[in-house]
Amino acid sequence: MSKKILLITSVIFLSSCATTNIQELGDKFLDLINPSDAPAEVADLSEQVLVLDGESGGFTEEELEILSNDELIELAKEKGLEDILIVDADGNLQNRDEVIKALAESEALKESATQQLETLSDDALVEIAEAKGIDSITISEELENLSNDELIQIAKEKGMEDILDLDADGNLLNRDAVIKALTDSLIILDEDGNLQNRDELVEALVEGAAETKSAVAELEKVGGSFVLYFAYDDTEIDEAATRVIIEHANFMQNNPSVRLRLEGHADERGTREYNLALGENRALSVKEVLGLYNLEDRVVVVSYGEERPVAIEHNEEAWEKNRRVEFVYY
Amino acid sequence: MKFSKTLILFSILLSFSANALLEVNIIKSKEDAFPLVITPFEMIGNFEEDVDLAKIIRDNLNRSGHFDANSTDKLINGAIDFDFYQQHKKDAIVFGKIRQVTNNVNHAEIYVYDVLTQKALYQKKIAFTNGALRKIAHALSDRIYFVLLGQKGAFNTRLSYVTVSESKKGSRTYRLQISDSDGYNPKTVVKSAYPILSPSWSFDQNKLAYVSFKNNRSEVFVIHPFLKIKPIKLPKFDGIASSPSWHPDGESIALTISKKGNKDIYLYNLKTKELKRLTKNISIDTEANFSPDGKSIAFTSNRTGQVQIYIKNLETDKIKRATFKGTYNAKPVFSPDGKELALIHRVGKDYRLALLNIATRDLTILTQNKSDESPYFSPNGGMIIFATNRDNKGILSIISLHNNQIVELTQKDGVVREPSWSNYSN
Repeated sequence: MSKKILLITSVIFLSSCATTNIQELGDKFLDLINPSDAPAEVADLSEQVLVLDGESGGFTEEELEILSNDELIELAKEKGLEDILIVDADGNLQNRDEVIKALAESEALKESATQQLETLSDDALVEIAEAKGIDSITISEELENLSNDELIQIAKEKGMEDILDLDADGNLLNRDAVIKALTDSLIILDEDGNLQNRDELVEALVEGAAETKSAVAELEKVGGSFVLYFAYDDTEIDEAATRVIIEHANFMQNNPSVRLRLEGHADERGTREYNLALGENRALSVKEVLGLYNLEDRVVVVSYGEERPVAIEHNEEAWEKNRRVEFVYY
Repeated sequence: MKFSKTLILFSILLSFSANALLEVNIIKSKEDAFPLVITPFEMIGNFEEDVDLAKIIRDNLNRSGHFDANSTDKLINGAIDFDFYQQHKKDAIVFGKIRQVTNNVNHAEIYVYDVLTQKALYQKKIAFTNGALRKIAHALSDRIYFVLLGQKGAFNTRLSYVTVSESKKGSRTYRLQISDSDGYNPKTVVKSAYPILSPSWSFDQNKLAYVSFKNNRSEVFVIHPFLKIKPIKLPKFDGIASSPSWHPDGESIALTISKKGNKDIYLYNLKTKELKRLTKNISIDTEANFSPDGKSIAFTSNRTGQVQIYIKNLETDKIKRATFKGTYNAKPVFSPDGKELALIHRVGKDYRLALLNIATRDLTILTQNKSDESPYFSPNGGMIIFATNRDNKGILSIISLHNNQIVELTQKDGVVREPSWSNYSN
């Protein structure tokens, strides 16, 4: 297009203001511009970078060493490690070193389970708690502000009558204990769906998470594979992959409390959103095989598309490693 | 006292330069570009911002691919030496001044002259408050663009994009950022340890939809980057929720939802909270994008076994295949006139930005890159911004559809990707 023609049309269009001498402009040309739509600094989205605290809250081996045998026996019983205790007829501990090691290991496992749970967002934590069968309640006010009758009602609704200590007239005698018991064993949400008892919920989930970790460690020891790989733009499960899935099906049947998260991934080629869909299809095709063992209710599927590569290079070798489904137990 | 004043001044300067996070490089061609001169602006009064308006306008116009804008030492003193500019083959000359009127009110005056006819093409006075110098420069750029080309400019607009940086320990930080159209004034609106993708501006520019993995699954969120109010929460869906695309009415979003594992496109109305299914097919349907009139959507589907683009007319419910060349065409976006689609087209092993004429089915490959992604038109349709790789690093690239001039936006540390271009400022 000729810019001369454009210029001329513009000249005609704007001829009313044509002049060769520069003069001050009157207010008929006045427009107003404000910078008022400047962005708010940073929207507070309760989403933030999480930094893990490396400090351990549990017992270390050194701390256990200074305990007496009787104290160790007590602690082992408390931690559900009664089975490994060897005591003679007089009740003397025979395998002190072994018990200390087991206690320290169990503490380390719990510690790492806690750390992992702490990194989760509230929503992700609630999802896991629900999957693990923890009941939830939605309340408009904090438990502390509810009347005794309301607390009694909640406890009954949630099948927790046995925590109630009532007098002959039905008055609640152990209000504080009931509040604590409810806080420790339920998912408490406010009316907007926000989690009210995050710390207690993490606490409630730690034991199960530690158990899962120890079961998974056993499977790792016997050479279990936790990743399956796929061809380009493909979701097919071949024979070798089927064998791996069957191993996992057996594992899940032997460990009825564990639940599985299948994480689907894609390589970087192609568009991100399509790859997100592709990653989910890969995980779904693994879930389908597990469905043959009636395990589908214990399996959730997520996709990270190309967002979480294990190999960051841009070549065929890296792409092969990134087209995968990972087995994550919780 | 004097010492602390210097310190404050120093830190202001420092934070200003740290703000210019996106570096801009023009890497190609002055082909078929309109030659003009933009003289340095006269600044009358005290201005806290250290802003060279003429330079911003020059850079804007040059980035569009339509102009070859230069500066001059020859200042305008009452009269213009038109012969001088004619000898130097300049077709137009632009000059202006900024005058402080009161403490918080300033006037910008702009004059555009045609060198050949020696006539004023345009003159305008604009009042503005403090802190809006860059915004004024963009608004003036838009007017010059319109005066000389008869088309709307797209300078007084915003970009959004995602940056990813990695710590020494290997943990990644994702940031959803917005900036002016020239990459200046970047602001982080979401920061996360989890991946963020697919940011998309609403047509009124007030809302951004995006996908976040903060709950360990892909979910769509809607935020108001300019208001300190709560993000809009979408209902929880079973599988993935992704690929948000705003309806032009600003009230609803098309998104991909996986129900029982089947990925289809749905329309979610933010006001009525109604969910309506737009596609129904056992294959993958995703990456929906509304036509500017809101009457149809383009989307990606592998329903034939290949990844191709389809257009669904939402009034007749008819679905037509749009791409026929090649075995992989994805991520369609409508041009502002609705006649073309920008998309990602596979050539051999490479994924390249391409432009499809919907009516004629002509497909034009626009780059020679290996991995282009996420195209988005400037609101005037003159440019396409997209993500690509340069030296194994994610960068943004803007291509002028006038002469294929390429402008690159890079970040010193980390990668930048997933661009989206806002509509015009109101």
